[in-house]
Amino acid sequence: MRLMAVVSLVVCLLAGCSNGDDDSSGPSSAGNVVPISVGESAVCRTINQLCAVITICQPGTSSCQTISDVLVDNGSVGLRVFSSVLSTPLTQTVDVRGRAVGECTFFADGGTTWGPVQVADVVLGGAPAVRVPIQVIQSTFGGQSSSNNPCNDEVDTDPQAASFNGILGIGIFRQDCGLICATNSNNTLYFSCNGGSCTGVAVPLADQVQNPVWLLPSGNNGLVITLPNVPAMGAPSVSGSLILGIGTTDNNTPSAGISVLTTDDNGFVTTVYKGRTFGQSIIDSGSNGLFFPDASLQQCATPLDPFYCPPNAVNLSGTVIGENGSQIVVPFQVANTENLVQTGNAAFNNLGGDFSIFDWGLPFFLGRTVFIGIEGQSSSLGTGPYFAF
Amino acid sequence: MKTVIGTAALALFFAPTLLGPVWAALGEPAASVERDRMMMKGQRQSRTGTGYSIDTITVAGMRVKEYVSPDGVVFAVVWTGTGMPDLQLLLGEYFEEYRKGVHAARSQRPKIRKPFQMKSERLVVERSGHSRSLWGRAFLPAALPPGVTAEDIR
Repeated sequence: MRLMAVVSLVVCLLAGCSNGDDDSSGPSSAGNVVPISVGESAVCRTINQLCAVITICQPGTSSCQTISDVLVDNGSVGLRVFSSVLSTPLTQTVDVRGRAVGECTFFADGGTTWGPVQVADVVLGGAPAVRVPIQVIQSTFGGQSSSNNPCNDEVDTDPQAASFNGILGIGIFRQDCGLICATNSNNTLYFSCNGGSCTGVAVPLADQVQNPVWLLPSGNNGLVITLPNVPAMGAPSVSGSLILGIGTTDNNTPSAGISVLTTDDNGFVTTVYKGRTFGQSIIDSGSNGLFFPDASLQQCATPLDPFYCPPNAVNLSGTVIGENGSQIVVPFQVANTENLVQTGNAAFNNLGGDFSIFDWGLPFFLGRTVFIGIEGQSSSLGTGPYFAF
Repeated sequence: MKTVIGTAALALFFAPTLLGPVWAALGEPAASVERDRMMMKGQRQSRTGTGYSIDTITVAGMRVKEYVSPDGVVFAVVWTGTGMPDLQLLLGEYFEEYRKGVHAARSQRPKIRKPFQMKSERLVVERSGHSRSLWGRAFLPAALPPGVTAEDIR
């Protein structure tokens, strides 16, 4: 514990942060803030891609590095970093037979990452370091390759193609898999590798890749994503805050009028749009647009064809409904994607496209403060998993 | 007992090609559902709906639904779970097309992250969801029985 404090302090000096002490002592500390932005990074340059800088340390040491261009994604759980940007040695996790454990992670966009599960001390903003298993993204781990691997899918090979150095998964769950992977070796996510061959393995909860936020000594019940809005034709960049904890300090205390939408066990909410009901709706900062089906909206020409290109911007609204029956009407706008892209801007609140269910992506977060409650963690807004806004 | 089954399932689940022919489901006769179930070492349930029937295979946090037309052909598969099913097994002859679709989506510029979707007159595949609950579906638009729409495939 003392060691952790030292690490944290060193990291803070390295990272140049000023509010290192925090957290248990004073409610006014800004140590729980991680700056986040769209359009301000070198690698993380995709439209509406929300990114942050984090610090990774070799466990129990002051050997640390900062990693920029990390995608802030509440649609996934756990930190994942490309091996090519890691210079800090981490601790490999192993199964009961001592074999190195790796993981396949599947993303909704069709992306897949493969690589070893290793323990790191992770520092978010000025908060104390947490010791947590992360995924190192490395297509060659365990003698595998981008096209031939246990994920049975093409996996990410480099930051440039992926457009991020890593992914900070801060979704509503504690671990990325949970009980299924603790009890089943054929879970299709975790594998242990030996001599070039990898086979499925059950992994105890504590050894699974997990949300660093819930491991914090305080402010571990959830997080807040707050971003300003942007003009109708977008903005070159936008900056906001990822605030750790809910109702634990002045800066993460919900204001009056916030409604809480609990999710189902799978983390889904329901959206009613133009009289149609969409279960399995997601609120996902890692999606770069608003995706939903509407045959009345004109789609763009290739290569922007799944996106919407109405001649004029259209005002729409959807009602998001929680498992607890609470509902919130969310007005939004969809503009002509071609025109938006031509501006060269990076942040848009009105970028939409066709999909068969409702995906409230980054535009939803612009001009809004969204509270994300982690499963099983209690807060002034109730026990997670929930979204509140 | 559990461990033995799990290991056997794993070997079969991930290496269908070792068995000789690739046992496909999509576009194949309904009998392939049982082969899928055996290879996944899952539990199977059948339900008859209007104009089609659904076979559901469940195993290790994964639920796979195979939609079978009245003439006995699998025209759609839907999966939900913490992980991913072996799509090579479930998509069969359509798997390569899916792989190319994924590759194309990953290479698309400007890169705008969105739920995966490939759509042709021959094949539709979608993926969505998030950690702990991934969701996807694949269907053959030309093989949908009369009166069945894409919305029925959930």
